[in-house]
Amino acid sequence: MGNAMGTDIYTLGADIGSAASKCVILKNGAEMAASTVESAGAGTGGPARAFEGVLAKAGLRREDIAMITATGYGRNSFAEADLVISELSAHAIGAAAFFPGVRTVIDIGGQDAKVLRLTEAGVLDNFVMNDKCAAGTGRFLEVMARILELDVTQLGDMDGKAEQSAGISSTCTVFAESEVISQLAKGTPIPEIVRGIHESAAVRTASLVRRMNLVLPAAVTGGVAQNRGMIRALGQELGCELMISPDSQLCGAYGAALHAYRKAGQ
Amino acid sequence: MSRIDDILTQLETISRNPRAQLDACLAAGKKAVGVMPYFCPEELVYAAGMQPFGLWGADMVCDQSRRYYPAFICSILHSVLELGITGKLAGLSAIMIPFSCDSLKGMATNWEVSVKDIPVINVAYAQNRKIDAGTEFTASQLRKIRGQLAEIAGREITDADIAAAVEVYNADRAAIIAFADAAGKHPKLVPAAKRSAVIKAGFFMDRAEHAKLLTELAELLAAEPGDRGYIRVVTTGILADSPALLEIFEENRICIAADQIAAESVDARTQTPVTEDPIIGMAERYGKLEGCSILFDPGKQRGKELVELAKQAGAEGIIWVMTKFCDPEEYDFVPVKRMADAAGIRVLSLEVDRQMVNYEQIRSAVQAFAEMC
Ligand code: SF4
Repeated sequence: MGNAMGTDIYTLGADIGSAASKCVILKNGAEMAASTVESAGAGTGGPARAFEGVLAKAGLRREDIAMITATGYGRNSFAEADLVISELSAHAIGAAAFFPGVRTVIDIGGQDAKVLRLTEAGVLDNFVMNDKCAAGTGRFLEVMARILELDVTQLGDMDGKAEQSAGISSTCTVFAESEVISQLAKGTPIPEIVRGIHESAAVRTASLVRRMNLVLPAAVTGGVAQNRGMIRALGQELGCELMISPDSQLCGAYGAALHAYRKAGQ
Repeated sequence: MSRIDDILTQLETISRNPRAQLDACLAAGKKAVGVMPYFCPEELVYAAGMQPFGLWGADMVCDQSRRYYPAFICSILHSVLELGITGKLAGLSAIMIPFSCDSLKGMATNWEVSVKDIPVINVAYAQNRKIDAGTEFTASQLRKIRGQLAEIAGREITDADIAAAVEVYNADRAAIIAFADAAGKHPKLVPAAKRSAVIKAGFFMDRAEHAKLLTELAELLAAEPGDRGYIRVVTTGILADSPALLEIFEENRICIAADQIAAESVDARTQTPVTEDPIIGMAERYGKLEGCSILFDPGKQRGKELVELAKQAGAEGIIWVMTKFCDPEEYDFVPVKRMADAAGIRVLSLEVDRQMVNYEQIRSAVQAFAEMC
């Protein structure tokens, strides 16, 4: 693999998720040269668009990239990859770079939620993943947003407008859906219902975190990290501050690009 | 084809086609009795000249069983019941059903109302299995079962018959352990899915024949150089026979160095003591069994055994193959995992189900586990 850009080393990380494809190009393993997020995941045109888009944004060609690591649900079908790592390892590497010293990473993705434990040196040491159902994942919030005729990205702002919580007691997506509908029928203000939804999802996510014993500092990554209401509810449930980053959705792709950089140097 | 491959293929074929085995047995004029988990007295079936036929369910979609069991009952029970209701087990002369867990407690009744032509033999064992009264209770139940089986077989089951069957089963148990040990050193020659199939074949064939093949296999493997570059793990749980799951282990160069799986080595690890009355020996064996969540185990000997197995096998971690909706396993998980944590041994829990079609989450978890090791 060549390097047409002088002594700089460019590596690419592709996080091919179930609902979105994200690519990051790193320059010399430190500087984010470009990134793309396509809201179409494995098995669609999303991965190719994210890949071509990130190269175009960085003004690079495939030959300029020293190494490509793919991660995420669709990692094994991403033909451009030189290397493949699990999304858990990718998120751990990315989170250690985004939040130096972080010990617990809560990644809430579209279909699943995972909690990662990192060593003091920032190496993945243990993890748990959600099982059985979609409660506590981005999918739960999407379903609830749809009933409320909101876009999922509006949930954070809505939560901020609430004066109190409507108290959605069920953590099960199906039962919570009926609770939300009855709250709507009662005329409960939507922001209060949204806050209740976040608290319900937070209870479920927090139970996953407790399966690992929470070690601080902790950070939240994945698309849901952009939802301030959810972060507030989760922080309250766990009784701690949670770090977030505006680039949290890129954490897996960033980690994959960093992994590629480390491998390129070997 | 080498002799190793030849034996592996033979046993794999048997384990993948249990119905063909049953048909061949019936065609040869031999009766067969279904044996459900856990630890049913197969020796008595064998002693009666009948073929014990292991029933651990099948990877399938269950539909009819849902009329009798709710969705949150494990897929082992759902699929055994489904096989029975849909006539896939036709030809069995009886089915032995124990009461080992809360879900199994309803199995005999569900079976009796839904599968009319295969009678049930209830298998009740003592909960307090290590005390004399427990042994005596279990022995009394075994004597009752002996009578029921004799009636089905249409012949007497003598003490000598039982002693001979115990000998065959003890030999097969020793052969399973020797094979599992050899397979743990040769993950390339015996990848995880083949390893499972070799052990599983014993559920559907003559145990004497199974023992012979496994002993030969273990000897042939011992003569081969060991395979390096694998991540050694110990598996634990009820059942770990899904080829899709085991292929993920293979993809990630995971070698099952030893197991504490109920359907694999757990039963094989404990021999039946040779006693004057062979029924007493069988009852005593039930008291000696360890390493399974359905066994009354207040001191959590299971955790101690698991840690010891991992240490002895030089394992880098433990993979807990968690059968979905299995309460005994869920209850055991917390204290046993704490024991592994205290010993500094990593534990990965994978939830599996016989109706599972999507293994992507498991693939990610196994890959991450391998990356950590
Ligand atoms: S012990 Fe667990 S897996 Fe076995 S029958 Fe009972 S619930 Fe099912």
